[in-house]
Amino acid sequence: MKSLSEMTHYEVLEVGRETEGADLERAYRMARAAFAEDGLASYEACPPEEAAAMRERIELAYRVLSDPDARQGYDATLGSTPDDAVPIEFGLDPASDEDIAPPEVEPEIAGFDDLEDAEDVAFDGARLRRARLRHGFDIERIAQVTKINPTYLRLIEEEEFEDLPASVYVRGFVSAFARCVGLDAERVVPAYMDRFLAARPPAAGGRRGQAHASRQA
Amino acid sequence: MSLGGGKGGVGKTFLSSNLSAVLARSGKRVVAIDTDLEGANLHTWLGVAPPARSLADYVAGRETDVQGLPVETPIPGLKLITGTHGHLSMPQPDAETRARLLADLRGLNCDVVLIDCGAGAHPATVDYFLAGDDALIVLHPEPTSIENGYSFLRAAFYRRMELVMRKGDVRSLVREAMDQRNALGIRTPHDLLREVEAMDPEEGRRFREEMGGFRPRIVVNEVASAEDVKLGFQVRMVCRRFFGMDAEYTGYVNRDEAVREAVNLRRPVTDIRPQSDAAVYVRRIARKLLEAMP
Ligand SMILES: Nc1ncnc2c1ncn2[C@@H]1O[C@H](COP(=O)(O)OP(=O)(O)O)[C@@H](O)[C@H]1O
Ligand SMILES: [Mg+2]
Repeated sequence: MKSLSEMTHYEVLEVGRETEGADLERAYRMARAAFAEDGLASYEACPPEEAAAMRERIELAYRVLSDPDARQGYDATLGSTPDDAVPIEFGLDPASDEDIAPPEVEPEIAGFDDLEDAEDVAFDGARLRRARLRHGFDIERIAQVTKINPTYLRLIEEEEFEDLPASVYVRGFVSAFARCVGLDAERVVPAYMDRFLAARPPAAGGRRGQAHASRQA
Repeated sequence: MSLGGGKGGVGKTFLSSNLSAVLARSGKRVVAIDTDLEGANLHTWLGVAPPARSLADYVAGRETDVQGLPVETPIPGLKLITGTHGHLSMPQPDAETRARLLADLRGLNCDVVLIDCGAGAHPATVDYFLAGDDALIVLHPEPTSIENGYSFLRAAFYRRMELVMRKGDVRSLVREAMDQRNALGIRTPHDLLREVEAMDPEEGRRFREEMGGFRPRIVVNEVASAEDVKLGFQVRMVCRRFFGMDAEYTGYVNRDEAVREAVNLRRPVTDIRPQSDAAVYVRRIARKLLEAMP
């Protein structure tokens, strides 16, 4: 264990010497949240001045590492001692064999594999939610990417079929949702739509079309 | 393995019961033990009526052989040592009895002993927690749990160091550091490390080694959002920075109505609702634990 002054900028942000771009950004956000003044994660963990010193170091580390010139200059001052190892679970390259498809959006977090495929777990609303959380996305993020009303995304997860629009819309929503969270839409959509249509047979479609229109307004 | 976390009601017993059930169902011979003598309820989660013999009998000296304590549960391969019928004025055994108990547990004829710890950071609770080769700290995404979680980890850290330091003066230094307002100005594990190194370089080396070897696992229970899921990573960063511990974020479980349903039926949620969110998450954690087992 090193004291703060002994730590390199890389160690402060827990990134490798090659990390840059979006990965660096994510690591910075995570570190900032971890030691945030009013944050949960460091609540009563240490004397306040230590947390404040850490916050300062995080900002400095990010300023230097995100600026190519400053970073080059900084790297030149570093000795040959390797950094303390970056914990593997936050090694932002989740390319796990068990991932069905890479998510269309860069995940916020990595390290939790999709182990459910091997277990034959149903493709239901809860599975979509688990996949979403596994990548660290909140509903709003999925809504932003897919341009789908967050209320619908929530209803899809909760399987509150009654309040969803006509099946043709739902099919498209589920497909986009699945792709966004790294699930295979070709498998998710038929399975999900079976559940949907079992609860809401096609004959009941007309009224929902209306409900849909009014909700959009 | 052991499950602790400082705060009551965060899901230690929920996870103890369900993880032991999943491990047993995967073919391990498991003995779960409820060390919460003041609030024993692991047996209820597993559908076992309070049996004639329990850990309390061992603590009171009525039973001297741990081998005689485990009782059957409805789940094949899973046995249970309950914490029922505690002595109300002397709820936890003294250090000596504890040490004997923990040593005896290693002699049980099974693959996994899973220790469910009570709330708080009583020295006995900390010792049970430290007895695990794998120790899971269960947290809720709320300040009270985080606060108690860190005090618990701090207590566990100092206790572990006290146990491995060999020189008397270093040991008393560690004990002194446990007092958060100690006169030496030792406020963090890092301060303590520096003091130990200054006092005795050899003990300092041992201290560092031991620090690296203490790798508790973090589980966040009752998550409700992506923020809650991320909390585990952040706590891991904080542990690394302020405690020098390489904790691992092993998993999270969402808040799921199926859990209440299951406890009302006194059966593991992984058995009665295997497709529920909670069950899927518990199995994911169990799988990580299995991977780490010899
Ligand atoms: N993931 C969960 N979802 C919903 N309820 C939960 C969950 N985990 C625990 N609970 C509820 O919280 C209560 C306390 O859990 P318990 O495991 O007994 O806590 P502890 O052993 O840490 O004191 C239980 O009654 C249970 O119903
Ligand atoms: Mg309990």
